[in-house]
Amino acid sequence: MDRKRIANLLSSTTGLALTVGISFLIVVLLILVLSDEPGRAIYYFFIGPFTKAYYFGNLLNQAIALMFTGLGIAVAFKSSTFNLGGEGQAYSGAIVATVILLALPNMNGFIGGAAAIIAAVGMGAFLAGLSGFFRMRWGTDQLISSFLVSAAVILIINYLVTGPLDDPVNSMLTTARIGRQYQFLRIFKPSKLDISIFFAVAAAIGTYFFMQRTHWGYEMRMCGINREFSRYAGINVGKYLLVPMAISGGFHGLAGAVTIMGTHYRCLKGVTMGIGWNGIAVALIAKNNPIAVVPAALFFAYLEAGAKAAMLHSDVTFELAKIAQAVIFFLVTAQALYGLFRSRKKVGS
Amino acid sequence: MAYLQMQGITKLYPTSGVLANDGVDLAVDENEIHAVIGENGAGKSTLMKLLYGLEHPDGGEITFRGETVVIKDPFAANRLGIGMVHQHFKLVSDFTVAENVVLGSEPRKRGLFIDRQTAVKDVGVVIEEHGFSVDPKRRIKDLTVGQMQQVEIVKMLYRNAELLILDEPTSVLTEQEIERLFVTLRNLLERGKTIILITHKLEEVMQMSHRVTVMRGGKVVAVRNTSDVDKRELSRLMVGKDILLEVNREQKTFGDPILELRDITIRCRGQGRPLLDTINLQVRSGELVGIAGVGGNGLAEIEDVIGGLRHASSGQIFLHGEDVTALGPEDLREVGLAYVPADRLHRGASLPSSVRENCIVTKHHDFLKAGVLQRRNTREFTEELIDHFSIDAAEGMPVGNLSGGNIQKMILARELAADTDFILFSEPTWGLDIASSQFVYERMLELRARGAGVLLISSNLDEILGLADTILVMYRGRVVGRLENTEAVTKEIIGEYMLGLRDDSEPVGAAAPSEVHRG
Repeated sequence: MDRKRIANLLSSTTGLALTVGISFLIVVLLILVLSDEPGRAIYYFFIGPFTKAYYFGNLLNQAIALMFTGLGIAVAFKSSTFNLGGEGQAYSGAIVATVILLALPNMNGFIGGAAAIIAAVGMGAFLAGLSGFFRMRWGTDQLISSFLVSAAVILIINYLVTGPLDDPVNSMLTTARIGRQYQFLRIFKPSKLDISIFFAVAAAIGTYFFMQRTHWGYEMRMCGINREFSRYAGINVGKYLLVPMAISGGFHGLAGAVTIMGTHYRCLKGVTMGIGWNGIAVALIAKNNPIAVVPAALFFAYLEAGAKAAMLHSDVTFELAKIAQAVIFFLVTAQALYGLFRSRKKVGS
Repeated sequence: MAYLQMQGITKLYPTSGVLANDGVDLAVDENEIHAVIGENGAGKSTLMKLLYGLEHPDGGEITFRGETVVIKDPFAANRLGIGMVHQHFKLVSDFTVAENVVLGSEPRKRGLFIDRQTAVKDVGVVIEEHGFSVDPKRRIKDLTVGQMQQVEIVKMLYRNAELLILDEPTSVLTEQEIERLFVTLRNLLERGKTIILITHKLEEVMQMSHRVTVMRGGKVVAVRNTSDVDKRELSRLMVGKDILLEVNREQKTFGDPILELRDITIRCRGQGRPLLDTINLQVRSGELVGIAGVGGNGLAEIEDVIGGLRHASSGQIFLHGEDVTALGPEDLREVGLAYVPADRLHRGASLPSSVRENCIVTKHHDFLKAGVLQRRNTREFTEELIDHFSIDAAEGMPVGNLSGGNIQKMILARELAADTDFILFSEPTWGLDIASSQFVYERMLELRARGAGVLLISSNLDEILGLADTILVMYRGRVVGRLENTEAVTKEIIGEYMLGLRDDSEPVGAAAPSEVHRG
């Protein structure tokens, strides 16, 4: 049994390593074809993030939000509920936190900050919970409902940020800046890395414990694996169409709030864009294991940082950087090679 | 040489260890209706799956129209001219009749596009030629069950099937639809088709078939000309001789009723007759009640209703004197229900999860400290169950790695650990070997001796006869027989009830569905 488990682990990590390797190779080829100084571009793309403390710190900072959204997706997927509305939930968390903090300019940093975070979590949980509720009540498809709710919410927030909440003082499409007392402590200057990375890691460990050891986690996992069995055994399966979604949405809302309080200090138009979708990729790479979400998020942030460094230091254009990222993103998340690798092995044995 | 000859067909399902076909011979003549009958698990469906290429035999030979053939998959079967109409229709409900019929062999336009007009026209021709009455342009979801079955048959005819396999074709049809189907079958026969009819309904065999092959326990036990047999003989051939189970069942008096069903009825939209028709039953303390019946006659529905997984359309259920009609599994377990389901691989266990996670599922609330599952307690509990029931497993193993018998032992262990006064067993020994079955029987009798009420739903007559104090027999959703299990009760008698040859229940007659009085 143990040997089997090890073999499984090996085959899955081999598959992942293979996928990453191949996608890197494609990126290298792309750069070779499209860049006039391919050596430099490749160097900065892959090594760049580690060449300066500033880059490396920002890489870690980027990973924070991805850890939160990745955890949210992992919890939902592990329970066989589906949240595709991460973008909207994170964005709503960001705007709710910003509005509350702007409304409390003179409050104590901890109290006001806590209120903002709780409200952001609540907002995300509500939006995702809606999809859970719809499915519980009417059997609505969660993938579609969560996506649609999120798509609508994004437009509403865009309107708020560019309209009523726009700060006329600056020329950007953004709200005003939140008070100093609410800004997370930066721990690796001059980079933007702040203390919330510790929260994220703690959240990963906590989520793991929650899923593996607690009563709710156990019931959620059982529902995720076999709903018929769970229902038969007396687990309230309806509840667990909603609860994991709400938790998932809560994590996304939290990611939004942390983005504001730790990095941007104001809600720009589209400030959280990308972290919702990338959270899904992170969770997939992590195979929905909360602990594995941490390295998976770091990997994604590394790609992001590499693309930025390559753009700054070589002739790699924004488009090329994005394409290169997309190749890796696509291959890794599609897990196409995983499947291939497995079925090959089955045929072979 | 017969038109279709299957010789020495053997099929072993390695995961469950069930030898579903054991040296089966089947010979079907051209242009006949050949019935294959047998109880559930007799191996008839397996045999047909082998013929249609859905499964592959481990041994034996198939000869069709004088040539030895290897049927790789249903496409190969279609090419040979063999078509199958499944018991559960395989249709796309949002597609039209024509689209469903041509699916997989669509007429094309310019090699790329589906030629819908030709499809509608061609399908229309097939429908007209064979005297069907469905409109090729209608969507499947707007059809009745009988019409859907017609579409399935048309689908096979469109693929030029000469040999049609019909798997339990009447199980979902109303009386009128059955009549129509028979007309259709006769029609097809006139057109030179050959039909294999799989069924366990003797009436149909007598009415429709020329010859009949009887299967039992994976083997062919008889081949007869239909005109030479009567229903009673067929029923005897199907159920076989009494096998006395070696169980010790002492007589005793029964206590108060623990479970009671009053006029339980389940109606299903689009179906003429109710799935369950005013079922009344009582399980008393210390009593083992057996419900016998052939699959598809309401056994599964009774299981679901008592397990709380499906709600009755009308009627009431009482457990320990409490009205539990509206309760789900969660509350029922609280009131006192333990339940070993027939579907042990999906409902009874979660295969990817560990033995421990499976064992604690119904009582994990007992292992909590501030919401956290106490690992030591759950492990000790699981190890105790493994020990007590001599389950060949470790607590951390995925249940999917266990043998069928051990999975059932684990489910049994878990359900018995709930220590309830009522326990429901559905097909508890299906697919188990003799030793494991014996183990299950012993546990059931222990429960009975302890004064618990035990309800056993089973299509295995030997175990019903060997274990039950009271026997109920189901046929077409009704309780047609209610017998005290005395020496006088034999397998033949129960078999006759099961197959609809005897019926003690009052005729439902013209009376409107009776209003159920509540409270």
